[in-house]
Amino acid sequence: MNSVADGLQPIDDSNARVTTGPTPVIAPGHTFGTVTDKISAIVLTRKTPIGWYAGFGTALMFTGLLLVSLTYLVTKGIGIWGNNIPVGWAFDITNFVWWIGIGHAGTLISAILLLLRQTWRTSINRFAEAMTLFAVSCAGIFPLFHTGRPWLGYWLFPYSNTMGLWPQFRSPLIWDVFAVSTYATVSLLFWFVGLIPDLATLRDRSQSPVGRFIYGMLAMGWRGSAHHWHRYETAYLLLAGLATPLVVSVHTVVSFDFAVSIVPGWHTTIFPPYFVAGAIYSGFAMVLTLAIPIRAIYNLEDFITMRHLQNMAKVMLVTGLIVAYGYLTEAFIAWYSGDKYEGFVPMNRMFGPYAVFYWALILCNVVIPQLLWFKKIRLSVASLFIIAIIVNVGMWLERFVIIVLSLHRDFLPSSWGMYSPTFWDWSTFLGTIGLFLSLLFLFLRFLPMISIFEMRTILPEAKVGDQ
Amino acid sequence: MTPQLTQTADVAIPELAGLQRRLLLAGAIGAVLSLAGAFLDLRQFMQSYLMAYMLCLGVTLGCLALGMLHQLSGGAWGVVIRRPIGAASRTLPVMTLLFLPIALGMNHLYIWTNADLVAHDEILQHKHLYLNTPFFLARAALYFIVWNALAYFLNAWSLEQDKTGDEKFARRMQMLSAGGLLAYGFTITFASFDWMMSLEPHWFSTIYGVLILGGQGLSALAFLIIVLAWLSRRAPLDTIVAPAHFHDLGNLMLAFVMLWAYFSFSQYLIIWSGNLPVEIAWYMHRLQTGWRGVGITLIVGHFVAPFVVLLSRQVKRQPELLMKVAVFVLLVRLIDLFWLIAPEFHQAGVSVSWLDAVLPLTLGSIWMAAFVYQLRGRAILPVNDPEFDEALGRIIERGAPQKAAH
Repeated sequence: MNSVADGLQPIDDSNARVTTGPTPVIAPGHTFGTVTDKISAIVLTRKTPIGWYAGFGTALMFTGLLLVSLTYLVTKGIGIWGNNIPVGWAFDITNFVWWIGIGHAGTLISAILLLLRQTWRTSINRFAEAMTLFAVSCAGIFPLFHTGRPWLGYWLFPYSNTMGLWPQFRSPLIWDVFAVSTYATVSLLFWFVGLIPDLATLRDRSQSPVGRFIYGMLAMGWRGSAHHWHRYETAYLLLAGLATPLVVSVHTVVSFDFAVSIVPGWHTTIFPPYFVAGAIYSGFAMVLTLAIPIRAIYNLEDFITMRHLQNMAKVMLVTGLIVAYGYLTEAFIAWYSGDKYEGFVPMNRMFGPYAVFYWALILCNVVIPQLLWFKKIRLSVASLFIIAIIVNVGMWLERFVIIVLSLHRDFLPSSWGMYSPTFWDWSTFLGTIGLFLSLLFLFLRFLPMISIFEMRTILPEAKVGDQ
Repeated sequence: MTPQLTQTADVAIPELAGLQRRLLLAGAIGAVLSLAGAFLDLRQFMQSYLMAYMLCLGVTLGCLALGMLHQLSGGAWGVVIRRPIGAASRTLPVMTLLFLPIALGMNHLYIWTNADLVAHDEILQHKHLYLNTPFFLARAALYFIVWNALAYFLNAWSLEQDKTGDEKFARRMQMLSAGGLLAYGFTITFASFDWMMSLEPHWFSTIYGVLILGGQGLSALAFLIIVLAWLSRRAPLDTIVAPAHFHDLGNLMLAFVMLWAYFSFSQYLIIWSGNLPVEIAWYMHRLQTGWRGVGITLIVGHFVAPFVVLLSRQVKRQPELLMKVAVFVLLVRLIDLFWLIAPEFHQAGVSVSWLDAVLPLTLGSIWMAAFVYQLRGRAILPVNDPEFDEALGRIIERGAPQKAAH
């Protein structure tokens, strides 16, 4: 295991630049003590802001809406959704792909940026990982309930049974089951392992016996000995290594759900890399959407600095351009193929009955994000926030356009149809947003949203032994 | 700081002049042989030429792109190879000239240039708007203008920066690199559609451009590792280049190997499962004939073998070993291009001509001679780069990592 750890020895000591230079990743003047105080106080001592109750309450109401929608779905069947023949997949899969994509930023930030020694990731990785977990939970709801009988969901797994039934292993939908469940498991482990030293800090600092008991249980006997740290570092790097391929594999498999079919607009070879780029794009947009208000509300500008926001904006710009590249090659090859069904797809997208969605998608995902080329925009928190939200909307529209527009008009004009969402489509979607935000509010209140011990390592004080 | 660092490579590394002469000689002999081959079998010559050309162009453009990427990302791995990257990109005028045989002989390469054939083919008539000789040449001209302009300005500003140490050039290079990478992505995509995908004009794959782009990055990295390993055996770089630099480059090469496998597998899986007549034909005459062996060679040689070897930390930190892997990778890059190009001309089964060996060697020698010539003209390290001290300065202050030079 030493080899992996040694491989991470920095040859360019970018840590030296952490507190200097025009845009530090942690504001000057902090010490080990102030970092610990500031982050742990949010959980332990500070009075819960009234805004938290308002936000959590609202989110909880939408979670209630989700429960109502799902209960009604189970009693009535998926006919309550707008799905029909030919549009057999609609909001459910759109939302599934959207949520799964959002999760990718968390894994990318925590695993890949760790392996690439990007120290700026430190203050955003914890809540980005939490976001991943919550997003995957929301994503899982859709395919599970789309089966119509979620209590038989275990049939998706291959297990010996008296019926002699096996899942169709050639179907990417089955690969999805494995990809997403692996992803959820590894993300959870990664997040929890990363939390352990901080849970011990909370245990030691908590004034209430209940807090000490719960944090103590979760800290699993962490004492901070050299042995503990050694094992911790090894485990964390191993998990990072395991999580890295998942950044690519999950959305690749999701893209296969579409690409291995022969539906025009779905069956195209660029899908895997272009879906992965789109996932990271939407994920970073979501991290920005959450990070900007959180840093303002909890006064965390010292820890989540302009450097973080700028870097995330740059990642968005790059992945957005890759996505735009995908649109371009797709449209060009659709024409170049000379196949009339392929050629019809971009025409239907641009000028068909859903054209307004397509052009909104281009505006949100391709046109507006080009503003990020300008440093002025990247340095303006308000415009970053607005662009991030626009990208979130754009990426949702992209999945809607891909899924619904390919299905509603396929090979035979006689089988063409239209799709429009019902109240229950919307309520389920909004409900998952409520669930996501409820979980996030609980996380902010009860766990350290920024990794305390990792923040301490990037302080200049921690550099003494390096010279 | 040793005075050798500020000298031009020509003075600091005297062997370069002799190397350039030998390469030119090899190129000249190869050129005579290739010309003979052209008279014997023009079609085979064109086919082998295209393959050899795409390999050399891949290294050139891959270096240009990696240079631009490094302008944006920073990092020590790029500072030590900045000069070889620059020298490689300055061979673009030579590569532009070497495109002429393809432009002149395109009738022997692309069946869509055959008017009779197009007249009887509805699909090709549809594509005629894009696949026609004047537009093909105009597009090629545009690609070369873009690539040459990028290489020219980046190199000119890098030289100014070397002379003056002015930070404004670093900023300018960054700005150009951001737009330049974008331009490279689009031009190489369409260039690969034009020059390679249209060999089978009915076939199409949206991932093709990305596949070629990733391959160029891999070729360039392999080439740069070889150059750096060679340079690190000699003064002045022997005291500067550390195992950590090779480690980083080795990791990057591993990443590109995986990327290539990912793109290739995605394309195969999607086309295989769709099994549509137009698309699957491309794989049919590759996998249901003797070409299958070449495909399996690629799976093993282009993915499994380098992947397994490059996982090892020892290999990545030993320049000699890593260089051997890099040479192997360049060889499989050639086989990959062979796999993409040759089956279109020999659909019945494998056919390897002596020209498939002579032309890569010939073009490779000519290109290398141009590269060495360009390398000789400047100092071997960008000493006035703003990142230089950060990347290497500390190593110089501490003294040589392994061998003492003084």
